[in-house]
Amino acid sequence: MSTAGLAIYVVLGFLVPVPLLAWLDRPRRPKQPTPQPGPQPGPPK
Amino acid sequence: MYAGHFAAGLAIKARVPKAPTWGLLLGVGFLDILFGPFVLLGIERARVTPGISPGFSLDTIDWSHSLLMSLVWAGLYAAAFWSKGRAVAAAMGLAVFSHFLLDLPMHPPDLALWPGSSVHLGFGLWRSLPTGWWFVELGVIMLGVGYYWARSRRPGAEFGGRPALVALVVLLLHVANSPWLSPK
Repeated sequence: MSTAGLAIYVVLGFLVPVPLLAWLDRPRRPKQPTPQPGPQPGPPK
Repeated sequence: MYAGHFAAGLAIKARVPKAPTWGLLLGVGFLDILFGPFVLLGIERARVTPGISPGFSLDTIDWSHSLLMSLVWAGLYAAAFWSKGRAVAAAMGLAVFSHFLLDLPMHPPDLALWPGSSVHLGFGLWRSLPTGWWFVELGVIMLGVGYYWARSRRPGAEFGGRPALVALVVLLLHVANSPWLSPK
């Protein structure tokens, strides 16, 4: 590897993983409750 | 150090969750991100040294990696995030300066006090432990990522949705940078 190659390798070594790690760090969204099929029960009479 | 820097960034994130993750991860690598262009422009000098751990010699890295310039770059980087609040700015500054602190044990004495200083710091684990340094850095990674993982499990944590994958990526980076696999 040349000196220029080393310089580029070092820079890319830090730049490339940043977006991936930042994306993986995002908080998980809470799961939405699954809507039930069919008519929903009305209020008690 | 390499992957250990990312672990430090993640640990800072766990402590200051409001700090943007991308900013912290960029910050911990900022001195090396400067090093590359500085070498290409001839401002700093490095040589590839095949067979001599760690495979390169950093002959002059005063403008990116000296103690004084690390503090200057940390201050400038922190200032760029000032609008996000003092805690976030401080976290960003710490991220940049942590690079110097974590490089100290690994580098041979090539970390100048200031540009042109005749005094250089570095405990030299890369040279004294040609393969053992990898395990020392692994310990740093486990501490940083472990802290990040633990804090991400706290109720209401607004980060760390996939800590296992984050840990895996950091470990893979560390393996890729190992004395047995990194490019010569």
